[in-house]
Amino acid sequence: MDQFKNRVHEACRIAEEFTKLYYETIDKRRHLLSRLYLNSAVLSWNGNGVKGDSDIEKFIKDLPLSDHTLTTLDAQPILDIAVNGQLTFIIQASGTVKYQDKNPKAFQQNFVITAQGDKWKIVSDCFRSPEPLGK
Amino acid sequence: MPKPNYNNKHWIRDNDERISDNRDRRVAFKQGRNFKNKNRDLSSAVREYLVDEDIDMGLGGGSGKNIRRSGGKKGRHGGGEPIHKRKLLEGPTGWYKILIPYGEKYEKSFLQKLLLDKLAPLPFLPVAWQSSGTAVVFYVDDYKTADKLLSLSHQVQLPNGFKLIVKVHPGSPAVDITPQLKEKMKLVMAKRYNSLNKALDLTKFHADPDLKNDFCALFKPQILIAVLDIIGNEIPDLEALSLNDNRLMFLEGMKKSINKLNNVKIFHLRNNKLRDISVLDGLSDMPIVDLVLDGNPLCDKFKEQSSYISAVRKVFPKCIRLDEVDLPPPISFDIAEEINVPETQKTFLCSLEGEPIIRQFLEQYYLIYDTENRQPLLQAYHENAVFSYTMCHPSGSLGKDKNSAWLNWYQTDNRNLLKVSDSDRRTKLLRQGQLSVVSFLQEMPLSKHDIHSFTIDLTLFTPTMICLTISGMFKELKSGHKVPPIRYFFRTLVIVPVGSGFCISNDELHITNATANQAKEAFKTPSLPSPLPGTAAPPSTPVASPVIQPVAAGIPTILDEATKQELVKQVALQTGMNWEFSTQCLDGNNWNLAEASAAFQKLQSQGSIPPEAFIK
Repeated sequence: MDQFKNRVHEACRIAEEFTKLYYETIDKRRHLLSRLYLNSAVLSWNGNGVKGDSDIEKFIKDLPLSDHTLTTLDAQPILDIAVNGQLTFIIQASGTVKYQDKNPKAFQQNFVITAQGDKWKIVSDCFRSPEPLGK
Repeated sequence: MPKPNYNNKHWIRDNDERISDNRDRRVAFKQGRNFKNKNRDLSSAVREYLVDEDIDMGLGGGSGKNIRRSGGKKGRHGGGEPIHKRKLLEGPTGWYKILIPYGEKYEKSFLQKLLLDKLAPLPFLPVAWQSSGTAVVFYVDDYKTADKLLSLSHQVQLPNGFKLIVKVHPGSPAVDITPQLKEKMKLVMAKRYNSLNKALDLTKFHADPDLKNDFCALFKPQILIAVLDIIGNEIPDLEALSLNDNRLMFLEGMKKSINKLNNVKIFHLRNNKLRDISVLDGLSDMPIVDLVLDGNPLCDKFKEQSSYISAVRKVFPKCIRLDEVDLPPPISFDIAEEINVPETQKTFLCSLEGEPIIRQFLEQYYLIYDTENRQPLLQAYHENAVFSYTMCHPSGSLGKDKNSAWLNWYQTDNRNLLKVSDSDRRTKLLRQGQLSVVSFLQEMPLSKHDIHSFTIDLTLFTPTMICLTISGMFKELKSGHKVPPIRYFFRTLVIVPVGSGFCISNDELHITNATANQAKEAFKTPSLPSPLPGTAAPPSTPVASPVIQPVAAGIPTILDEATKQELVKQVALQTGMNWEFSTQCLDGNNWNLAEASAAFQKLQSQGSIPPEAFIK
């Protein structure tokens, strides 16, 4: 049980570090974004699916400039039964995003991240903004 | 329906002493024009009349005075040519009511043919032809036709020796949208809809042969609203709409239902009576690229084409074709104003194979989740499952909504890592184990989810795990609010296969208030009384219904010993039976956890499980 408790703590700590880095990269250094994803990663952006780290980077680069602000954050270690003991976390964030200085809109996002050697990589990324972003 | 005081209106005199000459008439016409101009200023008054469906009274009365005055002059001047004795004043709506006294004495077909012949080459399209006592009443939508009809009065000899009398005055009847009329309109619209290019052509709607017995003119706001209603329900993805030749004066009726025209890019309004470009205000949500306004009085107000184009573009910035002419592209700054993002899709599935599994899983999950007893969800969670949730109040403009209900209930256990920094508290707020998870879910307020509002993202589908994201709307019930608040949720589920079914290993929930727009859209589609076809019927006793059903029931599953042991352990845990009886129970139920569990429930309720089954 203590082992699980340690994992919970680690999941929380990594989630804080990861989201800070992720949202800074997407807002300011998109050209580095593919490095955060696994080769075979999957992104669903408001239901638009993109597969593979380089295509994901290209997809995000085509989005208007963004400015994310987080409001909530949560993280859990995924049970071993699902990931064969491979250290994997699920992170869920919510907040507001401004595209091109327009009005901030609410968004929610989750990531499955896994330890690949000494690096954390995104396996799956799902972004939703319930209100239309166009205006 | 003709008004009872009809005969008091002296639009036209059928009294042959009153004869005027053309010059005299011109005087009258001047007044008529004055009247018209005055009326233009009183457009809001006209609008009210339109809404009240009672345009005859006010306008008729006003115009009548004009006629009388001119009649007086006529009297003084005396004499004239009988043929041009009467001139009809142009009414504001373009509709004219025609009354033929004693018209009922003649066959309808005879009368119609007679009028058609006499009017030629003018077209004759009587609308809402009906009898009124001994008279016949109908409407025409064209001044020339109405004027010509008027000139026929006392000029045409009928077979019985009488002369045809025709009374004409501007006006239209009150309309009442009955379900029958709406049904007729729907059929006519279906006939005029071209599904290939998603175009609906309502040109001269009232003159449609299938509608001419009713007064179904789009210039009546009620009719226009009814048409938009039908569009919203039947053809929500409409892209092109033509309302040419409909004598539209205002588009007020459209503004209220503009969200039903969200996809209309091509909009034709040729030959209507729109007087000012401001009628387009409030329609700017339509993504118009091609607009036709030609043949409306508003066009004459622009001295220069360029100011006309810019006035149109002010409302429809994307308009690139106006009155069938391509416009020069607007010159803008290189830094785009518009945000261009991929359109939102409701569903993303990384594997189609996963679809039936998750649909069935979610249906069964929320069916139970939305009841008072969430205990059966135990079977939906892995024994070591973890659950946590976060909540926030909508920020920015959304937060200003004073009507939104506070999320008080959710504040205490909000595991927002940005706020909760203490490690122990972070661990405590993570519910661990199926019992702890489900007993917490049981505590959460009673809910009713709108399955139709759900978005589904399936981003991982491997033999060992499924990662699923759901978002949507739910109503919170019995939580002390006067009106059940509508909430928005976003939920991440990790689902793992267990035996021949599936259960949740990780569950992260996020809850916030629905925005005003979301709340408006939620629960629009009536929820289905039963799950989608092909799935199990809702359980009468939820306890006996497995949340996790084998996906391919009937296909024998070959399980390894370790999985079997795991299943036996689960049954033992759930039922309290010993290892031997738990194994027997599973063996007799295809090693299906859900079936085994249901069988146990059934047998136990019958009291047919021997006591030794529980001796460990």
